[in-house]
Amino acid sequence: MSLSSSRKTTNTVALALAAAATFVGLFFLAAILVTLIVKGFSAISPRIFLENTPPPGSDGGLLNAIFGSVAMTAIAIIVATPIGILAGTYLTEYSRGSRLAEVAKFINDILLSAPSIIIGLFVYTILVVPFHHFSAWAGAAALGIIALPVINRTTQDMLALVPNELREAAAALGTPRWKTMTHVIYRAARSGILTGVLLAIARVTGETAPLLFTALNNQFWSSNLGAPMANLPVVIFQFALSPYDDWQKLAWGGALIITVTILALNIIARSLAGGSKSQ
Amino acid sequence: MAATTEMLDRARGARAGSARRSLIEDRVFYFMTLISAVLVVALLVGVIVSLIIGSWPALSTFGLSFVWTERWSPVKEIFGALAPIYGTIVTSLIAMIIGIPVSFGIAIFLTEICPQPLRRPIGVAIELLAGIPSIIYGLWGFFVLAPFLQSTVQPFLIGTLGNLPVIGVLFGGAPYGIGLFTAGIVLAIMVLPFITSITRDVFQTVPVLLRESAYGMGMTTWEVVRHIVIPYTRVGLVGGIMLGLGRALGETMAVTFVIGNSHNISASLIAPATTISSTIANEFTEATGDLYTSSLIALGLILFVITFAVLALAKLMLGRTEIA
Repeated sequence: MSLSSSRKTTNTVALALAAAATFVGLFFLAAILVTLIVKGFSAISPRIFLENTPPPGSDGGLLNAIFGSVAMTAIAIIVATPIGILAGTYLTEYSRGSRLAEVAKFINDILLSAPSIIIGLFVYTILVVPFHHFSAWAGAAALGIIALPVINRTTQDMLALVPNELREAAAALGTPRWKTMTHVIYRAARSGILTGVLLAIARVTGETAPLLFTALNNQFWSSNLGAPMANLPVVIFQFALSPYDDWQKLAWGGALIITVTILALNIIARSLAGGSKSQ
Repeated sequence: MAATTEMLDRARGARAGSARRSLIEDRVFYFMTLISAVLVVALLVGVIVSLIIGSWPALSTFGLSFVWTERWSPVKEIFGALAPIYGTIVTSLIAMIIGIPVSFGIAIFLTEICPQPLRRPIGVAIELLAGIPSIIYGLWGFFVLAPFLQSTVQPFLIGTLGNLPVIGVLFGGAPYGIGLFTAGIVLAIMVLPFITSITRDVFQTVPVLLRESAYGMGMTTWEVVRHIVIPYTRVGLVGGIMLGLGRALGETMAVTFVIGNSHNISASLIAPATTISSTIANEFTEATGDLYTSSLIALGLILFVITFAVLALAKLMLGRTEIA
């Protein structure tokens, strides 16, 4: 009887601790979001979307930074998406069991979790040093390299879920392989692949470290891709650590914009994947 | 009759032509996919080669002692990586010590206790923590967590644990708010969703039969977790931890905000310090002179080697089952 009651107590304590851990996790999520909303909302006004980053002590917005982030993300995704999908296609459709494919899958997973600042250093040495100046191209390249493994990996996972019968049925009709891929398999995996692209956008949107020494930053409006370009994360970093109140306020506004964008992308991606993912 | 044969021949010819064309198209498509896959491998090779070339001036000047030299003096052009390496390892260790039990707790809660309708929403909420970009953790850590720790937790630690023999030195000094301890806590929150989601997924691989036999023998929920679930999933759990560790080691922006950027190694866990990634983030654009830049790239190379090893181990342990 006493043994049983001590076992019961251990059980209760352990499960209570597990529930407490869950509470701690949710508490931090709530704490971060509440801080963001409280501090960010007071900074959000139409001006933030209409005016450029100000010099210290005057009013302004984040227009040039938002534009820079959108432009570099767009270039990164436009380049990384086809490469990522094609690479994922090779790794699932054309190479089952080959040595190269195993190595490439492994390397892709390493790149997926590799520190993004390393990607920044890499792009700095190949795109900034040779041209002797920072540029939006370099920033976009760094973001693209970060997006690529995400899209590649999701494509692999999603293509693996497409039933083999579809491939066999297409082959039985005499469809060439590439047409089977583009007209049958990609269509079947469409929402899953789109999920991967959305997750890649979400991942890239908040990346700061690789932009610090590729796109750098720009106080002014610039649409020149060959020159340094303002972008939200680096502006937030710079403004938050500045001693000026209005800069810090803008940093919180920018932080709220970025977080809302990323969480929205994540939620859309999840609801898209809900239908096609087996788990 | 002749007309029919002619038509048949023409049709045959057309079919052969289209077959040839689709054969070429197939080849082209195949090579496009092959080149894309090779590009991924080439990227990693490019990263390694560029880091080695970039860090060569520093490594040839300081030799291997670069790794265990503490001095970091841009003015005298003497650079050593010991302080950033120390900071990286200590902050990640603090993150693991806090993050692993909490992640396991959440995973146990989600798989064993949580009422079914709440499982998905709570699971998604924890995973949303992974979506929040690191710069937001940095902002929050710097403006909310650090002042809070400075005014409450750290004076308490200094006043109690700081007076104890031996471990007292770990909690000595003034409460700065920023430093190793704060960075470790922020990292712990950041690795939570990664370790939790893998732990939960491997917990779910335990066969229902095994689980139910254990319950049938009268085991309590905790005993099932402790004696059935954890031993069954051991390798996967270690893999999940390694993956979280890989993230913590390489995390840049969140740490840069709260680490304090001090190149001194202090025995105290609450003292300001620096990590590899935050040193690079803080100093790279301001680095003057080739040796300075090269030393920062050498730091990057060290970080890459460490994270590569940790992530590779994680991958081997998890097999190809989990999304990293």
